[in-house]
This record gives sequence, structure tokens and C-alpha cells, in this order.
Amino acid sequence: MFRPLTRSLPRRLLSARRYIFVSTPEIPTERHGHLPSSHSLITPTLSFFNSVTGGGTQIPTYRVLDGAGNIIEGAEVPELDRDLARRIYENMVLLPTMDNLLYNLQRQGKISFYVSAYGEEATIIGTAAGLAPDDENAAQYRELGVILYRGWGLKATMNQCFGNYEDAATKGKQMPIHWGSPEYHFHTISSPLATQIPQAAGVAYALQRDPERRGRNCAAVYFGDGAASEGDFHAGMLFASTLPSPTLFIARNNGFAISTPASEQYYGDGIAARGPGYGMDTIRVDGNDVLAVLAATREARRRCIESGRGVLLEAMTYRVGHHSTSDDSFAYRPRQEVEDRKRIDNPVARFRLFLHARGWWSDEEELALKERLKEEVLTEFRKAEQLKRHELKELFTDVYAGELPYNLKEQRKELGRLLRKYGDAWEPWREELKKYKDGGKSVMDIEDK
Amino acid sequence: MTAHVRPSILASRSMRQDWTVLTRKHGSERSLRTVGHSRPPGTSRPASDHNATATTMLRVATSPHSARLLTSRAHRCRFRYSTEALEQPPPAGGHLPSVANSSILRTSRDSALRAPGLKFADDEPNSLAGRETRRMNLYQAVRDAMSIALAKDDTAVVFGEDVAFGGVFRCTMGLAEEFGRERVFNTPLSEQGIAGFGIGLAAMGQTAIAEIQFADYIYPAFDQLVNEAAKFRYRSGGQFNAGGLTVRTPTMSVGHGGLYHSQSPEGYFMGAAGLKIVIPRSPIQAKGLLLASIRDPNPIIFMEPKILYRSSVEHVPTSDYTLPLSILEPVLPQTNSDITVLSWGTPVYTCETAAHMLAGPPEGLEGIVPKSVRGAKVEVLDLRTVLPWDIEGVLERVGKSGRLVVVHEAGVTGGVGAEIAATVQRELFLKLKAPVRRVGSWDTPSGLNFEKFILPDAVRVLDAIIETLTF
Repeated sequence: MFRPLTRSLPRRLLSARRYIFVSTPEIPTERHGHLPSSHSLITPTLSFFNSVTGGGTQIPTYRVLDGAGNIIEGAEVPELDRDLARRIYENMVLLPTMDNLLYNLQRQGKISFYVSAYGEEATIIGTAAGLAPDDENAAQYRELGVILYRGWGLKATMNQCFGNYEDAATKGKQMPIHWGSPEYHFHTISSPLATQIPQAAGVAYALQRDPERRGRNCAAVYFGDGAASEGDFHAGMLFASTLPSPTLFIARNNGFAISTPASEQYYGDGIAARGPGYGMDTIRVDGNDVLAVLAATREARRRCIESGRGVLLEAMTYRVGHHSTSDDSFAYRPRQEVEDRKRIDNPVARFRLFLHARGWWSDEEELALKERLKEEVLTEFRKAEQLKRHELKELFTDVYAGELPYNLKEQRKELGRLLRKYGDAWEPWREELKKYKDGGKSVMDIEDK
Repeated sequence: MTAHVRPSILASRSMRQDWTVLTRKHGSERSLRTVGHSRPPGTSRPASDHNATATTMLRVATSPHSARLLTSRAHRCRFRYSTEALEQPPPAGGHLPSVANSSILRTSRDSALRAPGLKFADDEPNSLAGRETRRMNLYQAVRDAMSIALAKDDTAVVFGEDVAFGGVFRCTMGLAEEFGRERVFNTPLSEQGIAGFGIGLAAMGQTAIAEIQFADYIYPAFDQLVNEAAKFRYRSGGQFNAGGLTVRTPTMSVGHGGLYHSQSPEGYFMGAAGLKIVIPRSPIQAKGLLLASIRDPNPIIFMEPKILYRSSVEHVPTSDYTLPLSILEPVLPQTNSDITVLSWGTPVYTCETAAHMLAGPPEGLEGIVPKSVRGAKVEVLDLRTVLPWDIEGVLERVGKSGRLVVVHEAGVTGGVGAEIAATVQRELFLKLKAPVRRVGSWDTPSGLNFEKFILPDAVRVLDAIIETLTF
């Protein structure tokens, strides 16, 4: 089970793999034999290699649609009917609608934080559509589209952003955009970057051990090009390639980690070049071409499940929006560059042109969709905004399962005492307590016993 | 960030050093075999003495009136012991109780089955008839616990660096053969990977028993454990959890571990609400606490004092049982005690030795230990769970004695003792008769040649007890 894959491969396949691995033009002959317990041939030539392709070129980028929505020569459109195409498109359009509103809400101080996904709609929705709805999902934070595509809903999204008492995802304990739902197989997001990557390998191992899901599901893990510099990326790739863990690694290479351009993040050929180093099937895809992303995800998923091992997909895209609401990206990149990218390489427009050409979409439908989505988003926002926070006692729940430890009981009691004493007299607390469903009573009522 | 000195060397070396290994033939007869230079192999001596001490301690606990007399009788026995020992090369731990002959260890079937708090997993928790025990050292007890966990829970897996061949400390011996490589497997050499992978398994509701080869190498996994495992349940509003994760790791000093095979990092996790930290002191404890940890719905770091892997030997019930978490155990209980000594892991034995030294100072110390304190009743507690610790238990005991000495191997600054001392002084300010005293390593790394003077030696504990009693 743990034997390196290469040992069982026929020689023909091995040489094909070698073509991928070695950039030197001279492939050594068998003349000098090979190393013991290895297929590494002995060569008298002193030569080095770098990256994974020869001749100074980079790993190619798989594309189906060109910038005008036409199918490029030699490409095949993945299996796609009208309904699926429209579902993908509607979800792609939903993202900027949601982003526009929530971004502005943050600017007005109604929510504390937000992260938009401008420019990455095709990567996010394309991969979501390529996965099974019950594939386990471990995301970074820019993948709202994936859980929305699965049907999580605008209502739940708004509730989480406001952290109101209907927010089941975090009970108002995490910052906005840290969604999660077991029902939609979307593991709750956390801020520390890349920690989800080795976790995804563990999730995949669990899937492999579950007779109900073995051979049926994979674990998809999303991360940015910056997060891939963390040690946890290395650990996750290593574990998923070494242990039987069908993990689909989806790198969103959008060119920036906050202000740090990719050129300061790595010197090699992106993230994709690292896959072969782990013995992992790897593909680079045009992340602004939803059909390429869809086709690549489906095939990556198939390989993942079939081999029971990790597969790497690097989606090349561009972060059109600021990193987050706490960032002004024009401090480190020209406004014109962003405007150009929006105009020349817009993933939503590209797919819309394709739909138009097929007769699957019209300008009227476009208008209607935008109106409908805007209305829905606004309605859910207004409802979520009205709701108060969870009861204050939730502050202490879920630290541990089971009985509250002594110190937490004491501290809850202490907070209750302080609230009884100062809750009304100290204005900042009085105002804050009004935001809770219970006005803080659930803690204040805990008397010393 | 990982062991450059591969520990298999260490494991075998520690065996060859002067740790005494007890072997028990049958019934009450007991032979003491010292591996190494300190005592010729196979040298045996009757163990009636040890049993007498154990009985004494038990009686001390139950009969306050005769306590002093019995204690002194126990010491006479010990001195006879040591005179006999003088004819031989001196035993490893001097003439005092050490891990090799500690009264804390339960070396008969009956005492093993009556270990406090022990709860059998089957339907007849109170019936001891027909229950079996087997002599085990600590690593065998750990292995036994994992074997039971794997047998009873199909989702349980055991993984880490080098666990498949049995582990560098033998804790996973034969498990891969018994349960298959899908359930007991090696991982790549990456601690953050091991912890993250385990969290992923646990997030799927499975049971992940991970091993970090030495607690000294747990830091690469610190982020996964503190930011992820500890907060998994809280941050998801209870929707997801990593409760199925147990991280086992060898901890504490081994005599020659230097900087990176000696550490006691439990204090670094004190602020990681959501995690539990459990440290056993003996084979019975290791098995019961490990099974409880594996089944507890919270992520747990289970730290095994590596020096005890071979040196501590007990009769351990062979069936499935657990011991309670977050409950301390008085290992040398006293009624109306004069002083409470609290510790966990290896130094529990050091505390026991110190208590004996106080009552009957060995040669050389007779002039230093004041006669006035020799009759003091010293109560030794094993905290067992460091996070969340048994505050109520400590307050109850210290509330009675009014004096507390906390002993741990980690450095004093920022150590667990600081947390305990602060809580005790706040809660028991008026009842304290002396300042809470902390005995730990100095705030230095564990310098190889200096270990004897860095670690809390029995004489340092003794000194702290005397100072606290005479404050």
C-alpha cells in the first residue's frame, strides 16, 4: 500500500514520466545501469535541471475558452448541459453581487470585515461545479462561492457576517467570512493560513477508511499562492502523496498575497512545479476560464479517487479586489493594471459570451438575473441586520465538550457579578449588552452558589 | 526541527543505564534486577519490605493515631534494607524509595484492581472477581491501551514517525501486525503534518491517535494544536470538533537527553483552552488515563514520562478500564497533613523520596534536617491532568494543610506551578501558613552535563518542604 508508485509501473510509463520530470535534453541510457533500489539511471554527464519542463518554458496552462468566449483550437468542451451552464453562470454572477453589497456594508461599519472574490469567480465556481456535492471541502477564505454553489444560501451567509443569533456556523465567534457547515461538507474556515491543508489529507484518509465513501469522495482543499509558502502546504502535499489520501489540492494563484507579488513569494514555476516533486499528478489551468477549470477539476477528482492519492490543480487568476476590507491595494499596484485585467480578462464576461453563442443566455435574462440577485441579497441583508446576537452565555460554550471546567465556571460567574454591578452603570457595557438576544441575562443570572 | 539524534539509540541507552528493572516471579516474591553497573543482573532480594511500606502507607492513611509510629517502623525497615545494600554496590536511587521500589506502584493484583477511580468498561464495574492483571511496565501499558482502543473502535488509527515497526520506545509493538498497516502506519517526518492530519481525521468523527516522537519536537505542531485543535469546536459553534484526536508524546528527563530529549512543555499549553493535557505516573495510570483520553470528546495531549517506560512496573488490569480526567489522586494520602506536595509524572517519585528523607534523613543529612519537622505529615498528590487541572481537589487538600510545594521538571518561570500557586494564594489566602513554594528546573535549557543540578532533585524538594514547614 505504501510502496512508491514508480516501482510497479511498466518501463514505458516510467520513461513517459521521466519526460515530465527531467528538463535535460539528454536522457541517460541504461549503459551504466541504475542505482540500487531505484530507477535512477547512472549518467557520466554533469548536468543540472530546474523546474519541470525543458528549454526555459513554463508548465503550460490548460484553456478551453479564449478571452472572447470562443473554444480554442484543439480544445474540447466538457460535458455540460444548459441547466448546468446556467447554474454555473448564475453562481458566478452572484459572487460580485454579494461582494458589492457586503464590501459596502463593511465600509459603512455594519459588519466588521469582508473579503471579496472579484476576478476569481471562474476558479471558485468552476471547481465547485467539478466536485461532488458531498466531497469534503476545506477552504481558505475566498471560497464563499463553493458553499453557495452547494446551496448554503444567502441567509446563512448574511447571518454569519452579522454573527446574529441565527448564525449556526460560528455563533458569532469568528470574524465574517469564516463560514462552515457539516450539512454542506464545508469545514469551518479559520484564519491561520494553510492549516487546513494537512487537515484535508487527514479528512481524505478518513474518507478512504469509510466503507460508505471510499472510492466515492475526495477532500478538496483550497489555498492561495501565498499560503502555499507555509510549512503546512509542504506537510499536506507530502502526507497526501505518501499516505492513501484522495486529496484535491486547489491553488488559487491570483498573483498576490496581500501586497506581496508572486515574484516575491517563490522563484520556481509557480505552485504547479512543486506537484511533481511530491510525486503528484499536477495540472495548471486558466483560472479565468470556467470550462477549463470545470474539466480540470473533474479529471483531477477522478484521478484523486481512482489512485487514492493527492492531485494538484493550480488555477492562474488575478485578484481584482483588494485583499480585504482592511487593505488598499493601490498602495502597492497601479490602478490601471487592475482596470486592464478587469476589462481584458473578465471570467464572468468570458463565460457569458460562450452562453450567448450557444443561445443559452440573453441580455434580458442578464438584466433580470442581476435585479433578482440584488433584491435577494438586500432582503437577506435587511433581515440579518435586525437580529440580535446569540445569548451572552455562548461566550463560554464549546470551549470544551462536556462539563465546563472549574476555571470557566468561575470566570462566567465573575463576569455575571461584574455585569450586575457595572452593566447598567458603565455606558460602554450598557450599550453593548443591548446587542445580545438576552441582554446579557444568561450570564448575569448565574449567582454564586 | 526534528530529532537529529534518532531516539532508538537513546531508548536502548537508557535501558543500559542504571535504571532498575523489576521483575516479579510469582505471588509475593519479587526480584530486583538492576541493568547496568549498579547492581549485578539477577541479584534478588525479598520484597516483603516494599509491601510493608505499602501497607504502612495505607494504614497511615486510614488510622491517624498510629501514623507516626508506623511511619518510623517503615523507616527502620528501609534502613535495614540499606545496610544490606551497602554490602553490594549502591543501588541506583541511593537508599531511598525510587521508581524501582516505590510504594506508589501497585505490585499485586488486589491493589491494582483497587486503584482509586478505576472504572471498568463492561457492565459489572464493581465486581473484581475473575478480573485479571498482568505485570507491565509503562510502555507495555500504553501499548495495551492502544490495542484495546483499536480493537473496540474500527475508526481508530495510530500513526506517527516510526510507529509501524513498534516505535522508538516500543509503545506500538506488534500493533501494525495485529491491526494492519492501514490502521497503524508511519507518516512522513513532519510534526505539523502529523497534528494537522490527525485533526482532519478527528473532524470526520474518527479516532486519531497520533504520536510525536519526543515532546521536545511538538513545537512545529504548536500552531495546529493551539490555533486549530483547541479552537475547532468553539469557532464552529459546535458544528465541527477535533475531539477524536489524542496526541501521545514522550516527555520529561531521561538522565542524558540534553536539550531536546528532556523537555516538559506542558506549561506552554496552559493557555490553550480547548485542549487537555494529561500526564500519567505509572503503568496503571497510563493505561486508564490513555483510554479515557482517547475516548474523551476533546483533543488531548498525552505526555508519557519516558524515563518511566521501563523503570515503572505495576500489575495492570488486562481488561478495558478508564481513570477519570481532571481529578488528582493523593498517592501518599494523609489525614490532617502538615504539608501538601503536588506534582505529576516522574517527579511524583522524587516527592515520595523527599517525604521519606524528611522522616528519616539518610546519612549525611541527619544534621541538616531539623528534628522538629521529621514527624510532619507530608501528603503527596499526583495532579495527573494538567489542563484543565483539578482546582477543587487542590484547594480542598491545601485548605487543610495550609502549605503547598509544587514540583515539576519544567522551568519555574511560566511553568504550571505559577498557575497553581496564583490560584491557591487567591483562593486560600487566609488559610496559607507559608508561601506556596515552586520547585522546578532552573530557567535554563536542559544542559546535558548539568542535568543533576538543573532538575528538581529529591534534596531540593526536601529543602523546599523544610523551608515551607519552618516558615
